[in-house]
Amino acid sequence: MTSFSFNLIKNKNKIFGFSSFLILLSLIGILYSTFNTSFKKPINLGMDFIGGNELRIERSCNEECENISPDLVIDKLRTFSNNKNLLNNIKLQIQNNNSLISIRTPYLTIEESNDLISNVDKILGPLNYDSKNSRIIGPKLGKKLLTNCATSLLVSLFAISLYISIRFDKKYALFALLALFHDLFIVFGIFSWLGVLLSIEVNSLFAVSLLTIAGYSVNDTVVIFDRIRENLKKDSDNYNKIIQISVNESFRRTFFTSITTLIPLLTLIIFGSYSLFWFSVSLTLGILIGSYSSILLAPSFLIKD
Amino acid sequence: MKRRQGWLFFIIFLLTFSIYLLINFPLQLGLDLKGGSQLTLQLIKEEGKVSKEELDAVNAVLDKRVNNLGVAESNLQTLGRDQLILELPGEQNPLSASRILGKTALLEFRTQKENTSSQLKNLQLQRFKLNDLIEQFKIGDKRNEEKSLLLMDNLTKIENDINFSSNNEQLFERLVETKKYISNEIANLFNKTDLSGKDLINAGRRQEQTNNNWEVSLSFSNDGGEKFAEITKSIAGTDKLLSIVLDGESISEASVGSQFINTGITGGSATISGNFSAENARELEVQLKGGSLPLPIEIVETNTIGPLLGSKNIVKSLYAAICGLIFVGIFMIFNYRILGFVSVISLIFYGFFNLALYSLIPVTLTLPGIAGLILSIGMAVDANVLIFERIREELINGNTLIRSIDSGFQRANSSIIDGHITTFVSCFVLFLLGTNFVKGFAATLGLGVVISLFTSLNCSKTILRFLTTYQSLRQKNLYLSKSNPL
Repeated sequence: MTSFSFNLIKNKNKIFGFSSFLILLSLIGILYSTFNTSFKKPINLGMDFIGGNELRIERSCNEECENISPDLVIDKLRTFSNNKNLLNNIKLQIQNNNSLISIRTPYLTIEESNDLISNVDKILGPLNYDSKNSRIIGPKLGKKLLTNCATSLLVSLFAISLYISIRFDKKYALFALLALFHDLFIVFGIFSWLGVLLSIEVNSLFAVSLLTIAGYSVNDTVVIFDRIRENLKKDSDNYNKIIQISVNESFRRTFFTSITTLIPLLTLIIFGSYSLFWFSVSLTLGILIGSYSSILLAPSFLIKD
Repeated sequence: MKRRQGWLFFIIFLLTFSIYLLINFPLQLGLDLKGGSQLTLQLIKEEGKVSKEELDAVNAVLDKRVNNLGVAESNLQTLGRDQLILELPGEQNPLSASRILGKTALLEFRTQKENTSSQLKNLQLQRFKLNDLIEQFKIGDKRNEEKSLLLMDNLTKIENDINFSSNNEQLFERLVETKKYISNEIANLFNKTDLSGKDLINAGRRQEQTNNNWEVSLSFSNDGGEKFAEITKSIAGTDKLLSIVLDGESISEASVGSQFINTGITGGSATISGNFSAENARELEVQLKGGSLPLPIEIVETNTIGPLLGSKNIVKSLYAAICGLIFVGIFMIFNYRILGFVSVISLIFYGFFNLALYSLIPVTLTLPGIAGLILSIGMAVDANVLIFERIREELINGNTLIRSIDSGFQRANSSIIDGHITTFVSCFVLFLLGTNFVKGFAATLGLGVVISLFTSLNCSKTILRFLTTYQSLRQKNLYLSKSNPL
């Protein structure tokens, strides 16, 4: 009577193969990023973790803003200031039809940052100060945030593991957690690749997204394992068959839930503020991978040869 | 049936109460939504951990300084064990706040040591020259190479005279550093006394009559006034000077006239005139009024958001939230028909309860907070999907509608609670350990999870029970979508 029928028993090896492939790919990304001389870290750490100054401000132009190349702007900045540390490490972009300036520099004091803005104003002005967004993070705080995020992740993974192992027997708990680490590892790997290829950085919201994915993935797996347990109580003779039936019975639910969670995330990606863009992308990836691992990977662990 | 009607009234009551709350207690918006500056201050302690008492003491001093800053609705709160967060709504340039807050402002009165007159005179002369260079630098054209070289030359001369060389490359930083060194050396020529900033009861500022400089006036407590009289009496009529030292740097030295030889300077007040600009005088005034910090602090994060950007962020988030709700609603109604309609209504309830709770607790709404709320929409629907799938299965198995509904809710219960607990665990940890930014997300998602437990289990059931009292709404095909017929 169920509308979905997937032969889990037959395809078990394909699923393991696919997951191993994804994990391997992530591992390559992480290792490449770690041993590449220009990154030296498993993932491209953003300003939150290493400190720095980020500035976004709009130009107020009468009609269309004139086109100026960022290199020219930096050249002009040299005539106003001789702060070498700043000028050698500045990254300047002009986006949105030449109207939005975004600047990244190493850590600056508030005074230096104000100077920078007023110099940019002389070159690209007038600027619309009401649209300013400036963040200055000291290197000390960056280190603190990094350890903070790492401990939050570890503590909550531990708490979730604890809950799962109390709630289920050991075998189920182990597999639910395996699926969870599978999801987190792959999302992490994807962002390693993004860092290497597109120099996308991760900030503290990335750590938050990993934690949210962890909660979501475990939740999904628990629902399916619950169903398997319930069905096994009724009929424990055809062990493998029951698992396959349970998976198929849960298929619609997992699919629908993913969609109802993905819809708000997609609206956030499309309409939301830029500061939430990569956060939403990471959650979206996590939910796609989490749904896959809950419905296909985790139950495959349970199937006996 | 009666019990369900009770629930219906309860839910309607809650909804009315929520709307009442929202109208009377508007939501508090974070700085990323209304614009302003936010400073994160870190307490610095060389050894050991910062204690609760020290954090509170720093908080109290900074609170006084913040109040004297004059920014409306500014807000200072502690974060974790050794950080403070200062929010300045509407303030677009946190420079002056950062200068006022960042200084320890330890004020001391010192008397000159024996036989240091010539040393002192030399240092004072160098400081005078240096101040002149700094003035020249400020008014000069910074790009003029010749001028810069000349200033650098003069600076090097001064540095040679006092046996000091700054490691800084930037001219201005070098000037400031050298001045700091000289002021420090001057302070070292003086002996500490037992009179300090703690003996002040008030501070003020006024413009000097003779020139455009400002001076800062001090009023001592009774005890402090006596100490001051004592100290001035001890050096009155001698060639020893009195130095006023702030954070280890002498900012002003003065002689005490011989007319005070018998009583010292009485009246419990004093003035510091150290070439202050209006702004410097105000900063010192605010710092002295607040007292000195028991531990030094460092500003580790500064966040500034323009008001225009803030309102753009609100509009963007609203779009995202409303579109998310509408699309989720369409999806649910398309797949579950009447059941989907029920879930949409309970989602709307869910939204209202959430917002009402934000204004009740209160939760300050920030961008990550809104992200948490939007994400929790998806999770709130999840519970409904679980229940409706069960109801659908029961219906397919040939059970009656009412029985299917009852057992659907019953059988989905344990999965729903499990799922909510795992998400809640993540949120709880995030809230405990996370930064301010992260806390907003954890708070809204966590609250969402709790409320969704109520709306998805109770509200949906009550509404469904209410709808099924109508004969015309009891046809099974209203509950199963066409693509999945019986």
